[in-house]
Amino acid sequence: MKIFLYDHISFVLLYLFNMLFLFIFYRNLGGFETLENVYYFIFLSSFLLGVFLLYRYFSNKRLYNKLNKMPFKLEDTLSSAGTTPISEGINRLLKTQYNLYQEQIQLYKLKQAEHLTFINQWVHQMKTPISVIHLILQENEGEPYVEKVRQELERISRGLNMALNMARLTSFEHDFAVETVLLHSIVTEVINEQKRYFIRKRVYPEVRIDSNVTVKSDKKWLKFIVEQLLVNAIKYTEGENKKVIVSACDSEKGKVLEVKDRGVGIPKQDIRRVFEPFYTGENGRKFGESTGMGLYLVSEVCKKLGHRIEIESKPGEGTSVRIIFSG
Amino acid sequence: MEYKIMLVEDDASIAKLISSHIEKYGYKPTIVSDFDRILDVFIEEKPHLVLLDINLPKYDGFYWCRKIRQVSNVPIIMISARDSEMDQVMGIESGADDYITKPFYYDVVIAKIKSQLRRCYGAYVPGVSEERKIELEGLTLYPERPELHFNNNFTVLTKKEAVLAETLMRMSPRAVSRDVLMEKLWDDQVFIEENTLNVNVARLRKKFQEIGVDDALETVRGYGYRLNVTWRKY
Repeated sequence: MKIFLYDHISFVLLYLFNMLFLFIFYRNLGGFETLENVYYFIFLSSFLLGVFLLYRYFSNKRLYNKLNKMPFKLEDTLSSAGTTPISEGINRLLKTQYNLYQEQIQLYKLKQAEHLTFINQWVHQMKTPISVIHLILQENEGEPYVEKVRQELERISRGLNMALNMARLTSFEHDFAVETVLLHSIVTEVINEQKRYFIRKRVYPEVRIDSNVTVKSDKKWLKFIVEQLLVNAIKYTEGENKKVIVSACDSEKGKVLEVKDRGVGIPKQDIRRVFEPFYTGENGRKFGESTGMGLYLVSEVCKKLGHRIEIESKPGEGTSVRIIFSG
Repeated sequence: MEYKIMLVEDDASIAKLISSHIEKYGYKPTIVSDFDRILDVFIEEKPHLVLLDINLPKYDGFYWCRKIRQVSNVPIIMISARDSEMDQVMGIESGADDYITKPFYYDVVIAKIKSQLRRCYGAYVPGVSEERKIELEGLTLYPERPELHFNNNFTVLTKKEAVLAETLMRMSPRAVSRDVLMEKLWDDQVFIEENTLNVNVARLRKKFQEIGVDDALETVRGYGYRLNVTWRKY
């Protein structure tokens, strides 16, 4: 309605101005015979104006409605704006725009899919030379360089897995299945995969989870989350014989999984931004081996799985990250 | 009897490494080099077991697995860099008997080959029928009992002590780092701490003494431990 009024204010003004002008002009020529004629003149004019405005309003009603209600989806713009010439013009414009837009989106979708396939294949290809090095190392077990090469190899593997998971995240919808998973078995599985890292940093895992605690989640992605949290906990723990505690408990919000370390902690100014992509903060600069993607990916995965994530940290005392499984 | 193992792996270095390793264990490896004729090679060679990669040029491992299954029941173990559950399920459904993900350990490959051969052909693989033992200058470890023998004395070890003794004896006279030893001691359910290693080394030293081996287990400062042959057989 507002748009309609604004749109027609110039008409009304023109009309009023025109009437005023005619009055003056007519009076100078000879004037009205009676006052009634003046009223009649005004009435007739405004009646015609009213009819005209009503006609305009009802014939373009759909257009005004459309202009009033902003679309939520791209497809909403395609609803018809009516059959008057201007509505049809707008219909045509929107449709063409929609098609052009779709074409571009399709192009990017295709590129994105191509890129995804590439990353997938590339990561798997890179795993082959890693396997070869892995085998060669096994044949030279006991040589002093073996452990060092193995450490670097593990770093490469972790990086590759990160890339793979980042790529998978974009097609998350096709790649997850929620089921009932045993928390304890997932946690111990991940800990055992990371045993070299634990041993090398002299950090010790402690699991405080009852063996029958279950949560509703996707096994693969939950493993990814736990792995990221554990790797962070190990990475940012300095000094020997400190512990990383993985525990589970019930709260009113749902089951909670907590990974707690006695590491360097996160500086206050950084903690609010740890879930942002590519944000490495002070620890990232100090420890080097940081991509700024770990916690971002974890929070994204949590979002998609419907889990909540909380982080709490005191510099010098340690960090604890909690995953809250709702329901 | 010598078992023939067919190796289908498109990466030449991996194929070579695996084949030379399984050769050490007394198997006869055949590497397939023409990936269009995998089935023909299989029929010609009549292997006792197939190690099959999934990522192959043209047709993948699932395809060839089904093809082989149409003509034979020979055990097939898939080896692949694809580690998703879906791929493992597909591998088994195509008729594979087991699945190994890359990167893998030789020991795992050998163990799986052994178990498949045993299941399929009954006979125990040479070397497995006898009890495993590790010998070093007259000192003998039987890791399965687990017992340590020297001259006419023997002592019973715990599982952890046996693992330590085995690693140290195999590596002797080289030193073994603490990291490697801790990794060997690591238990999947109860995770070990630094102290676990110290305690077990101390216990092992005592057991060595019991059977008359003195001062053999040397501490290498800042690195780990070394087993020196200080004993002489008589």
